[in-house]
Amino acid sequence: MDALGLLLEGFGHAFTPMNLLFVVIGCLLGTAVGVLPGLGSSMAVALLLPMTFALDPAAAFIMFAGVYFGGLFGDSTMAILLNTPGQASAIASTFEGHKMARAGRAPQALATAAIGAFIGGMISCIVVVFLAPALAIMSAEFGPAEYFALALFAFVATSSVVSDSVLKGLASLLIGLGLATIGIDSVSGAERFSFGVPQLFDGVSLITVTVAILALGEVFHVASRIRRDPTSRIMRSKGRPFLSRAEVREALPAWLRGTGIGLPFGVIPVGGADVPTFIAYSAERSLDRRRRHPKFGTGAIRGLAAPEAAGNATTGTAMGALLALGLPVSATAAIMLAAFRQYGLQPGPMLFERSPELVWGLLASFFIAMIVLLIINLPFAQLWAKLLLIPRPYLYGGIALMCGLGVFATSGSAFELVLLLGVGLLGFAMRRFDVPLAPLLIGMVLGPLAETSLRDALLSSGGDYSVFFAGPIPIVIYALLLGAIAISFLGRRRGARAEKAAAAEESKQSVDA
Amino acid sequence: MNATWWTGRSGLIIPAVLAAFCTYLLVGIFTMEVPAGTSMPGPKFFPALIVIAGYGVSVLLTVKYIRTPEIAEPATYNEYEDVSEQARAEAEAAARVKYRFFSDWVGVAWAAGGFLAFAVLLVPAGWIVSGALLFWCVARSIGSRRPLLDVAVALMMSSLVYLAFGVLLGLNLPSGVLGGL
Repeated sequence: MDALGLLLEGFGHAFTPMNLLFVVIGCLLGTAVGVLPGLGSSMAVALLLPMTFALDPAAAFIMFAGVYFGGLFGDSTMAILLNTPGQASAIASTFEGHKMARAGRAPQALATAAIGAFIGGMISCIVVVFLAPALAIMSAEFGPAEYFALALFAFVATSSVVSDSVLKGLASLLIGLGLATIGIDSVSGAERFSFGVPQLFDGVSLITVTVAILALGEVFHVASRIRRDPTSRIMRSKGRPFLSRAEVREALPAWLRGTGIGLPFGVIPVGGADVPTFIAYSAERSLDRRRRHPKFGTGAIRGLAAPEAAGNATTGTAMGALLALGLPVSATAAIMLAAFRQYGLQPGPMLFERSPELVWGLLASFFIAMIVLLIINLPFAQLWAKLLLIPRPYLYGGIALMCGLGVFATSGSAFELVLLLGVGLLGFAMRRFDVPLAPLLIGMVLGPLAETSLRDALLSSGGDYSVFFAGPIPIVIYALLLGAIAISFLGRRRGARAEKAAAAEESKQSVDA
Repeated sequence: MNATWWTGRSGLIIPAVLAAFCTYLLVGIFTMEVPAGTSMPGPKFFPALIVIAGYGVSVLLTVKYIRTPEIAEPATYNEYEDVSEQARAEAEAAARVKYRFFSDWVGVAWAAGGFLAFAVLLVPAGWIVSGALLFWCVARSIGSRRPLLDVAVALMMSSLVYLAFGVLLGLNLPSGVLGGL
C-alpha cells in the first residue's frame, strides 16, 4: 500500500487552508465560465491560465484542478437546462438531459449529472493512483488500425443502431464527416473545400457547429412551434433537488457502466472525453430498446447518468496519463502540459520521483475538488433550475445572445457568425424532419481521427487492406459491431411484430365494444 | 387545408441538402490542387468515400419520402402521465387547428433575420446595439407582445454582457458607434 501512503501524505499537503481556498475559488471560477454556451472547461483553463502564474506551482495546479472540474460541471448544467453544451464532452448529456429538464425534472437531472460526474471522477482517480503503469502499457497497443475500428464502431453504433431511421442517421453522419474534411489537410497540406475563403483554412470550428445545431437550431425550432403548440410553452420545474430511491436504483447501473466505459479512454489519445460519452450514451440506448417500456426520447435518467460518469472517468484517467506518461490526450490536458513547462516541470515517469509532493498533492486535490463541487452543486441545482422560470421570450433571446457571444469570442470574425446562422438553420430543418442530431456531431468529432488513421494504416501497409484485420483488438471491435447490428436488427423486427400485434388487439377490442 | 402532393413530402429537403453538400465536395475534389509527391491515399480519398455514400443515401431517402410520406403530427401530452386534464385538452385542441404550413415561418423569419442582422452589424455598429437588436428580434419571434419593454430589456442585457465580458474578462467585443462616447 505504498501508493495509499503517498496519497495520504498528499492530502496532508493539500489540506492547508490556503490550498483549500484555491480549490474553492477554482471550482467557482470554472463553473462560472463553464455555464456559458460555447465555453467549456478547456476554455476555462485557457482563460484562467495567466492568473495562476502569480502562485507557486502546487497552489496553481490545485486551483487548476478546481477550474477544470468546475468547468465540466458548469458545462453539463447548461447543456441540461438550455441545450447549450460548451464542448464536445457535454453533447451526449443534452440528448436525454434536456428532455428531462423540459419534462419538469430539471433539478433531478442536474443532481443525476452531478452525482454521475462525482462517481466517474472518484473511481477514475482511485484507478489512477493504483494503476498508472498498467494504463501506459495498454495505450501502447493502439495503432491506426485500432483507432479506425474504434471510429467505425462509433459511427455505425450511433447512426444506424441507435437512431430510429437508419437512412436519416446516415445522412446526418455524412454531413458531419463532410464538414470535418473542410480546411487544410494535415497530412499533405492540400487546401480542401475552402474555395479560397481564408476563414475556412483552419476548417469549420466544432464549437460553431455544436452551438449552431444544438442551441440556435433549438431557438428556431421553438420560434416555429410556440404560437401553435401549447406543449412547447411550458417548462415545469418541480422542486426536488434530491433523487428518490427509485431514481437512484435506475441510475446506479448506468453510472457504473459509464465509468467502466470512460476509464480506459483516458490514456488513448482520441481527443478527450467526447468519444466515451457518446459510446456510453449509445450503449445505454441499445440496452433501453430491449426493455419492456423503452424510456429514451422522453427524458431517460440513464441516458444522462452514463455519459456524465463516462466523461468524468475519462477526465480523471486523462490527468493520470498526463502526469505519468507526459501524454496530453485532450485540449485541456495540452494546456495543462504547457502550464507544467512554464514552471520548468516535465510530466512523465520522472515527475513522480523528482517532485512527489507536487504530484500526490495534485492527485489529492482532485479528490477534494470533486467533493467541493458536489457540495456546491447539489444545493445549487435548485437555483440553476430557476433559470427556466425566466419568461420564454427573454430566455431564448438571452440564449441567442450568448450563442453569438461564445462564437464571436472564440473566433473573432463575423464570417463565423454567418456560418453559425447557416448551420443553425440546418439544425432547425433536422429537428423539423426528425433527423437525429447526434450522428452529425459524432461525425464531426471523430471524422478527422477516422480519416488520419485510415490513411496512416494504408500508407504503412503500402495499400494492403488486410492491415485492418491484422491485430486482435480490431477483430474484437468488428465482432462487437456485427453483434450490435444483429441485435438491433432482431430487436427492430420484434418491435415491429409487437406493434402489429398490439394494433390487431386494439381493433379487435373496438369491434367488441 | 388542401392536401397537395407535397404534404408529408417536404422532408425531401433533407436529401436535397445532402446531395447539394456532396456536389460541393465533388467540385472541391475536382478542383483540389494536391502537392506533388503526396502518396496514396491522398487528401481526396476520404472525401470521395463520403461523396459516394452521400449520393447513395440521398437517392434512397428520396425514394423513401416519395413512397411513404411522413405527415407531421403536432405534439400532445401523450407520452407524459403527470399532466392536468385542462392542459391536455388545451394541447389537443391546439393540435386540431390546421395551418397551411406545419412550421410558423413568420416566427422563424424573425429569429433568423435578427441573427443575420446581428452578424452583419456587429463590427460596424458595435456589440451593444447589434446584441440588443438580436435579443429584441428573438424575443419577438418567441411571441413577446410588449415591444417597448423588450427594447429596454434588450439594451440592458447586451450592456450587461458587454460590461461583464468585454470590460471585466477582457474579451474583444466591438464597441462600434458607441465607442467614441
